[in-house]
Amino acid sequence: MSALLEVDALSVGFRTRRGIVRALSEASVAIEPGELLLVVGESGSGKTVLAHTLLSLLPRNVDVAGSVRLGGTELLGLAPAALRELRARRMALIPQSPASSLNPVRTLGGQLIEGARARGLSEEQARRRLRALLGELGLDFDFIGGRYIHQLSGGMQQRIVNAMALVGEPDVVIADEPTSGLDSELVETTAAQLQEISARGASLLVITHDLRLAQRLAGWIALLYASRIVELGPTAAFFEAPAHPYGRELLRALPEREGKSIPGMAPELTALPGHCAFADRCPDRFDRCTEALPDLYPAPDGVLARCFVHAAR
Amino acid sequence: MSAAGAALRLRGGLTQRLVETARRWPTYMRVAAGVLALLVVAGLLANVVAPLDDTAVDLDHVLEGPTAAHPMGTDEVGRDLLTRVLHGVRISLVIAVLASLAAVAVGALVGVLAGTLGGRADAVLMRMTDVFASQNHFLFGVLLLVLFRPVLGGTGAIMLAIGFTHWPSLARIVRGELLSVRERPFVLAAIGGGASRHRLARRHYLPHLLPAVGLAFVLTVPHAVFHESAYSFLGLGLEPHQASLGNILADGQRSLLAGGWWIALFPGLALLAIAMTIGTIAEYWREHLHPRWRSELEL
Repeated sequence: MSALLEVDALSVGFRTRRGIVRALSEASVAIEPGELLLVVGESGSGKTVLAHTLLSLLPRNVDVAGSVRLGGTELLGLAPAALRELRARRMALIPQSPASSLNPVRTLGGQLIEGARARGLSEEQARRRLRALLGELGLDFDFIGGRYIHQLSGGMQQRIVNAMALVGEPDVVIADEPTSGLDSELVETTAAQLQEISARGASLLVITHDLRLAQRLAGWIALLYASRIVELGPTAAFFEAPAHPYGRELLRALPEREGKSIPGMAPELTALPGHCAFADRCPDRFDRCTEALPDLYPAPDGVLARCFVHAAR
Repeated sequence: MSAAGAALRLRGGLTQRLVETARRWPTYMRVAAGVLALLVVAGLLANVVAPLDDTAVDLDHVLEGPTAAHPMGTDEVGRDLLTRVLHGVRISLVIAVLASLAAVAVGALVGVLAGTLGGRADAVLMRMTDVFASQNHFLFGVLLLVLFRPVLGGTGAIMLAIGFTHWPSLARIVRGELLSVRERPFVLAAIGGGASRHRLARRHYLPHLLPAVGLAFVLTVPHAVFHESAYSFLGLGLEPHQASLGNILADGQRSLLAGGWWIALFPGLALLAIAMTIGTIAEYWREHLHPRWRSELEL
């Protein structure tokens, strides 16, 4: 049985004046119905680009190679009308920063109904479903309706964009940094909401650099470093014992662990090395690391890791 | 039934909101709104409220100061000045409003085209805008008047002259606003939610452009009143017998030497009142009514 969402050897490059910025290199992941996949990595590692590629929200100066299939249908190069239909009905985006993702000069009521109607609902259906969805999240549609986005608290804003994503009953929900700029209490609330979305049967792709959120959400994890997936496996296994040195150093950098940051910097995306991109910062480096690019090798606990340490296995 | 009910509710809500807004106004705003309303009503009803015919010559009562029969006096051919000022308010306001509409339409059109088409069309349109903006707009208006007055007549030529010289700043604002709103995250989010281009334009771009366009319109009106007066004063605008404020002022200047101060004073006051009240209201609107838009637009 094939997965619901299959990303195969996806590469994304931006043509810029400084040369081609390799935002994503040969990324392959698959999500089954109802599964939760975390995409984790530091800023500039290609996380948001992955989310935007899945929905074809990229700017024009971009080259995309590889394949993205939803239920067997290829999404890359889809005609505009089909693409719109897909965004409206089958996939939904929970955008980064809810406050700026809603129009500041329009009241929320009109905007939410409008958004629901873009997803093919009638006015009556839209009203009914929004009322129900917001109600489940502890919000009153009539209270929200006459207000503007800036009049609500961060937690309410987050709940509204979550409700908006669910209104079309999508198969796949992509959450882009759902907790950026939220305090720890709201992170907890958001995590609970995301799990709720997952429990409804939608597949969930969560993009985050918040490792605590990742640990809380469990499911599967894909760790990105310098445009490549370096580790892919169950989240629990990752937090138990990361298979890739980058993952291990990343966990070590958490304040509640050792609070020890990784020396050096990630390579420029315009000049990625032909060998392991983490080699320069890796404490376990050996000769081969600076000679060739590692594949994803099977590591213990069903994990795949892009490190020669696991190549022998 | 439900549609009629909704319309009724909407109208009730609007009146209520207007009353609530007016209650928050400071005294100077109430005065400005009151005076403007009075002028507009008096101008619109000039034929009804004005005591006499605005072109009726009465050579027995030439250059008379304010009296009970002629509260604002008479001019050098004995026409009642109150009547002429009321008609002047009407003509000047109508011309100013229509000319401002024309200016705003041209500005919005150029701005939207430049912002939407982009690339070479954008460059051409914006350089054209620069050329227009770099000219002295009053002299350019005079040129347009001289060229088109024989074809369109005084009224039409004045509207054209004002409308065609007051669009560049709005075109720039609209283009800039359109370019910036398209890059905003909520537009990306809307596209991600399956919104079509039509829906984006109607629901996201338009609400961001309208306040800028509306404000530009209100700010252009008093300016256009001055332009109309200035052109008529120079003898380039309406026919001399037509009672626009500029024409009456031009008469007044001649009569001033004969001691007829009232002929320049009253139309001058009317002109000032129109410009100041609209200007006051526009400023207030800009500063208080839509702080959200103001911060959005950085007007």
